[in-house]
Amino acid sequence: MLQYIIRRLFQSFVVLLIVMFFTFSLPYFQQEGILAPAYAILGTNATKARVAYWGAQHGMNHPFFVRFWNYILQTFVHFNLGTSYKQNMTVWQIISLYVPRTVWLAGAALLLTILIAIPLGMYQAARRNTIVDYAATGSAFVLYAMPSFLLCLLMMDAFGFHWPHLPISPPTSVAPWAMFTDPKGFILPVASLTLLSVAGLSRFMRGTVLEVLVQDYIRTAKAKGCSNRRVLMRHAFRNALGPIVTILGLSIPALFGGALIIESVFNYEGLGMQTVNAAVNVDVPTVLGITMLVTIMTLLGNLIADVVLGLVNPRIRIEGKNS
Amino acid sequence: MTTIASSPDGAALVSEIDKIDPLWRQRVRIFVHNKLAVASLAYVIFITLFCYLWPIFHPTNQTNQAATFNVTWNAPPSLHNPLGTDSSGFDELGRIAYGGEYSLALGFLAGMITIVVGTIYGMVSGFFGGITDTIMMRILDAFLSIPYLFLLIALVTIFNRTTMLLILIIGFTGWWGNARIIRGDALLIRNLEYSQAARSMGAGRMRIIRRHVYPNSISNIVTVATFSIADAILFLSALGFLGLGIVAPQTDWGTMLQQGTDQLQNGYWWEIYPLAIVFILVVVAINYIGDALRDIFEVRLIQR
Repeated sequence: MLQYIIRRLFQSFVVLLIVMFFTFSLPYFQQEGILAPAYAILGTNATKARVAYWGAQHGMNHPFFVRFWNYILQTFVHFNLGTSYKQNMTVWQIISLYVPRTVWLAGAALLLTILIAIPLGMYQAARRNTIVDYAATGSAFVLYAMPSFLLCLLMMDAFGFHWPHLPISPPTSVAPWAMFTDPKGFILPVASLTLLSVAGLSRFMRGTVLEVLVQDYIRTAKAKGCSNRRVLMRHAFRNALGPIVTILGLSIPALFGGALIIESVFNYEGLGMQTVNAAVNVDVPTVLGITMLVTIMTLLGNLIADVVLGLVNPRIRIEGKNS
Repeated sequence: MTTIASSPDGAALVSEIDKIDPLWRQRVRIFVHNKLAVASLAYVIFITLFCYLWPIFHPTNQTNQAATFNVTWNAPPSLHNPLGTDSSGFDELGRIAYGGEYSLALGFLAGMITIVVGTIYGMVSGFFGGITDTIMMRILDAFLSIPYLFLLIALVTIFNRTTMLLILIIGFTGWWGNARIIRGDALLIRNLEYSQAARSMGAGRMRIIRRHVYPNSISNIVTVATFSIADAILFLSALGFLGLGIVAPQTDWGTMLQQGTDQLQNGYWWEIYPLAIVFILVVVAINYIGDALRDIFEVRLIQR
């Protein structure tokens, strides 16, 4: 097990290096080359000499591979992600300020999604082709087809303006404890994010349980006199858990992507809004840092999903074999 | 034929074979049997025709901001403007058609790119296997672990947002999931008996890919292609919502929805709900067509 985890960590590290190489080379494709941020900071009328000086200050006169090597050293040896071009903060400060806020939003939504989607999917599978099943499938189809921002806006329109019971924006202060000052403000954003992910996950859960329900061991359990309830809870649920764990691990980037849109709609300063602003302002170190961070989270999520899968399913032998 | 038909049993056999429709016709029959899928297809065709033909039959000003100063902005629906005017004074119904041209065309072309690139990458990776597969899949892992929307935003800010570049950006970043699905197919089919038989008879790699792997994974390719188009339309609208869509004076549905929702709290429902319904139904319909297409390739459903 330990050996497997170590090997997976090594593989994840290689993947991370590929991502870094890819994102690091992106600024070179800009029209003004890697000096584009200079124009964003010094203004479009900056003289050539001033721009060149700014470039030299930020080590941009070195060749690509020297810069990339320095960036890797600086990241993994000194744990220094550089300083934002636009905000007077290091990238670490930005990350440590905004990560808890996004994790709070995305984490609450993820928890609710699991609590709603799994029972819903199982219920749909157990009572398939009933009116509840059709209704749930139909709404999942519509939710799946809906751009996430549109859902948020419709929720805001409904609960913020037509029946004005809920605040349409979470607390805007970026202080760490501000998140807890107005819990009601989180109802709409978290509900929107949850609805969006429930649509996909419940459909997946329904499919998985349906596949499990036709297996021989289910028939055996029924033949031995197991009640329907026990068959579903004991045998079907446990066996359907594997694919669900994998898909949850894989859905982390999608969750961050969803959070990005929801943060913009509800004007909630988080990692997503920081990324959009940094990208628009050509704030390269911030974009690189956040991309790397989310990539690490995704890779770790997948690794944890696979390890949990090995724990819940004794048939999967995690030993010397390649994943 | 004639030799078989000359024997009494053979005649029965031939008439039996004649009764069996060609495969494509059976597939069409399964598709037509699915009423909802036919309705979806009809709806998508109708909206496409509407987007491209309505501006010809009923031309409205959609690009000239200077000409809108003698028009009431945010006007409610009337005979002259069936769906009112938007916050810039453009006719809303005409604008739905005008924005739809871009949304649908971009979604379709970008979706096509994702499926072509994804198919080629997945087939090569899955079919060759071994070290090629490992390297190609690790690279894919790297791509898949970048949050897609973050990458899309970074790319559209780096490059210009011309129509062509938006197609290329969405197209060349959307194929990763497709490649993984097609690769799984190729890996499976490569080891099936008929591929082994072909290999044992001396068929080359390209021939096996062309004659065996590709035709047998066509069901997944077609299905995934349909979903890719829907996804591309959605991602384009997300970019439009973030203000990173097609540059004015051109527009797309995402940008329009974003501009319309600014007016929602003023009660200008005509700027958002008609378009929202059209838009959502288009994506639902395309997804449903994808589901139905998966069914027509299920051999078990073919009735003989």
